[in-house]
Amino acid sequence: MQRPLRARLAGQAPLLTLILLCAVTALLTDRFLSPFNLTNILVQSSIMAVIAMGMTFVIVGGGFDLSVGSTVALSGCIAAMLMPVGGVALGVLGGVAAGALVGLANGFIIAMLGVNPFITTLGTMVLVRGVVFIITGGAPIGDEGLPPAFIAFGSQRLFGVHYLVWVPVGLLATVTYIMHSTPYGRRVYATGGGREAAYLSGVPVRRVIASTYIWCGALAGLAGVMLAARLQSGQPTAGEFYELTAIAAVVLGGASLHGGEGTPAKSVIGVFIMVVLGNALNLLNVDSYWQRVAVGAVIIAAAAADRLRSR
Amino acid sequence: MVDANTRPAASAKGIVKHFGATAALAGVDFDVMPGEVHALVGENGAGKSTLIRIFAGVHRPDRGTIEVEGRPCQFDGPQAAIAAGIVTIPQELRLVPALGVAENISVGDPPVRRFLGVIPRIDRARMREDARQTLAQLDFAPDLDAPAGSLSFAERQLVMIAKALRRRCRILILDEPTAALEKREIDRLFAVLARMKEQGVAIIYISHRLGEVVALADRCTILRDGRVAAVAQRGAFDAARLARAMTGGFEERASSSGVVQPGTTVLQEPAERPGAICLRAQETLGLAGLLGSGTDRVLARLFGVQPEPGTVAINGVPRRLANPRAAIAAGIGMVPAERSLGLIMNASVRDNIVLPSLGRFIHRGRFDKAGAARAVNELMDVLDIRPRRADTKVSALSGGNQQKVVLAKWLARGVSLLLLDEPTQGIDVAAKAQIHALLRDFARQGSILMNSSDLAELVLMCDAVLAFHHGHVAARIERSDLDESRLHAAIGG
Repeated sequence: MQRPLRARLAGQAPLLTLILLCAVTALLTDRFLSPFNLTNILVQSSIMAVIAMGMTFVIVGGGFDLSVGSTVALSGCIAAMLMPVGGVALGVLGGVAAGALVGLANGFIIAMLGVNPFITTLGTMVLVRGVVFIITGGAPIGDEGLPPAFIAFGSQRLFGVHYLVWVPVGLLATVTYIMHSTPYGRRVYATGGGREAAYLSGVPVRRVIASTYIWCGALAGLAGVMLAARLQSGQPTAGEFYELTAIAAVVLGGASLHGGEGTPAKSVIGVFIMVVLGNALNLLNVDSYWQRVAVGAVIIAAAAADRLRSR
Repeated sequence: MVDANTRPAASAKGIVKHFGATAALAGVDFDVMPGEVHALVGENGAGKSTLIRIFAGVHRPDRGTIEVEGRPCQFDGPQAAIAAGIVTIPQELRLVPALGVAENISVGDPPVRRFLGVIPRIDRARMREDARQTLAQLDFAPDLDAPAGSLSFAERQLVMIAKALRRRCRILILDEPTAALEKREIDRLFAVLARMKEQGVAIIYISHRLGEVVALADRCTILRDGRVAAVAQRGAFDAARLARAMTGGFEERASSSGVVQPGTTVLQEPAERPGAICLRAQETLGLAGLLGSGTDRVLARLFGVQPEPGTVAINGVPRRLANPRAAIAAGIGMVPAERSLGLIMNASVRDNIVLPSLGRFIHRGRFDKAGAARAVNELMDVLDIRPRRADTKVSALSGGNQQKVVLAKWLARGVSLLLLDEPTQGIDVAAKAQIHALLRDFARQGSILMNSSDLAELVLMCDAVLAFHHGHVAARIERSDLDESRLHAAIGG
């Protein structure tokens, strides 16, 4: 049996929005479709896409994570500090592990102690940023020079596409498989869709919730390492406001802040919508103050459209 | 007390109300005189709640009229009904727990003083004085600043009544007011109601406790299947006659294909536990009791939702039922009273059915989608879940089909013991019969422990019923002795 066309289209609203946005921008300015600009969009999207995939775990599980921006900075700096000592592998591992550790702390406080996710991650957001400034002394890390292989990872291409872009491509397949095709992934959806009902069906809801924050932290950590490669240094001020962009992208992709809905692929589409919108406004020479107004309005419009649809 | 010449305080004439295809009320006449207690009784689903919600302005009748003191009224919301002097004291008391007693009584319509004749501000002195006076009418003097959340249920109920009085309520509707009260508190409530009667307040009183109805009511209306089955004046009814009129002599016996001999003991709680349960294979055991009698706690502790120390013997093996996961691992499934607890509402039928069995559909280390889909389709056929589409969101299903999905969850998991809490509450008659048939099928291999306030359902389904009182088993009634009036008597109704 086929679902009604309208229902199928409603499920693809984020993709249709993205296509429409690209089409309109391409008509308004011929620079949009230039290879240089498209590459730029892909690279800009890649780091945010990694964060948004992690955020998808948390939001589908019924939570919320404001600490990812600070985690990006922490992991980037730790990676940059470890690399001259222990090589690229240790740096990457250390960065991702630092992110996972922040996620573990968030998960423990939220799932086991029952503290509100908004407050908890607001706290870790500020706290982690403070830690970053303490360990770096407020200065960028990497003046002594990072390993050439790492610098290459941040700037070179494979098959004509930046290494940075291949990361989310591989990750999307993995994360989609985990969320869709493993019992664990289905438990995340069930927990976010109805925590009590999931608990009464035998789902270990606390452990599931804690695990979503670990995913989110680890992927934010990976994003931090990618950003350090691109910036060729660990920047203590990196990643500011990334949490807001990531949450907005996941919601634009159709996830519900009540939990239980959303997919990694749609969150990535949400990231593209955010990046293309910013890019379009830049190309059209819209004043940067007005750009913020436009982006804010788009986020609210997306959330409102979702409410109207669910009535 | 009731003067035949006075006008009814409120009346309903020819009320018809449909919900979807089912007629909740099919032409009901009802009235209440000033200073009269008019009891409204009937089984679950008879239409009592719908009728009082129409009086309270929550529902609008499809046909028929409501009159208050002779004037036809059309309430477009609960506020309109309150303005007309009709106040309902629901079973769940709606007070703001963090606000004080006095503030709760005047919330929504506080006394206001204007500073310089313009700037409004709440007149706290008058608010407290108002509250004190109204509560004094009820012979109740709590700390006016104590947060409502710190009061007992009975005290909060009195605060609700005080709130009604302050709004010059002329018609007071009480929905199962004594369900959670102790004897002493019931006496105080009845004294308050007697005083309100003297002041000419008309009282509509809904209760399952027929003994109370006989003691309190000046008149009694019995609803059955959305119609008035009988109206009787004080002295012309007793508890047994009310029980008979409620069921209407309707008897739908279980198709008893030979009495099944219950087998070995499958579940045995430690004997020192109050209200300990012993359940045998192929047995359907019922739990009956008034609100607060502890029947719901039995299910909660056996499913590990409110775990108790100590072990329970399941098929002879001692088990700690510390959480639902442990209970499920021991072969127990639970159908909660609220379907939002039984189901993830915005998830699909398929996802809901496989949720407790996710760990079982594993093929070569990965989730076996095809195997799960086959199992789901099979169950949807067996249980006749409609529409027959596994990707339908369960929120789009009817109540009866939703309940079948909850059952399918546990059948997919292959549990041997089902705990049911109000399994057919709010489900239409046809679906109810289907669910009963499914449960009888299940009981051929498994065991069922069923809590229901629908006594007819217990009589229909159970091999034996335990009547609960204050968390203890007051009586065990075997199938051969099982009928509704005996159950009513046993649970103290």
